[in-house]
Amino acid sequence: MTVRDVAVAVLLVAGVTLQVLACLGVGLMRTALERLHFSGVSTLGTLCVAAAVLVRESFSLIGDKALLLAALVLVTSPVLAQATARAIHAVQGRDDA
Amino acid sequence: MNEWLWAAVALLALLGVLGAVAVRRPFLDGIVALEVAGIDAALVLLLVAEGTHRQPFADLALVLGAMSFVGSVAFVRFAEQEP
Repeated sequence: MTVRDVAVAVLLVAGVTLQVLACLGVGLMRTALERLHFSGVSTLGTLCVAAAVLVRESFSLIGDKALLLAALVLVTSPVLAQATARAIHAVQGRDDA
Repeated sequence: MNEWLWAAVALLALLGVLGAVAVRRPFLDGIVALEVAGIDAALVLLLVAEGTHRQPFADLALVLGAMSFVGSVAFVRFAEQEP
């Protein structure tokens, strides 16, 4: 077992664990805003899994695609979270009025 | 089955939890579940690509990631404008 194998294992376990926590959080929380917090955890899980693939494959075709996926999720996740939070506030404002 | 495919199976099972939230909870809660499910499904495809050493699944993961974002934004806009 090399250092690379250990790094891949740690990153993979961390990524999957974070994704499990994110999904359970979305499932167990009570309000939409509380559920929305766990989309950030999901982003971190994605980064860890993509890093595991990158460490395993280096900058090969699949490594580059993992890197691209991580970059895409890193950029789009905050945008989506902000848009969703704004929609939740708009709907809650309409319901309260 | 290697560790990558086991990880993919674990993440695939989580889609059921997110699907239950989307079905049983109010609309906006379902949108949040959809957003996380999109990322989860893209990760499943990436893990399958690595576990089976097949490139096309990684392409699918990228396309799913992009399309999931576009679809979620569309649903959010719809929810915001709904009377």
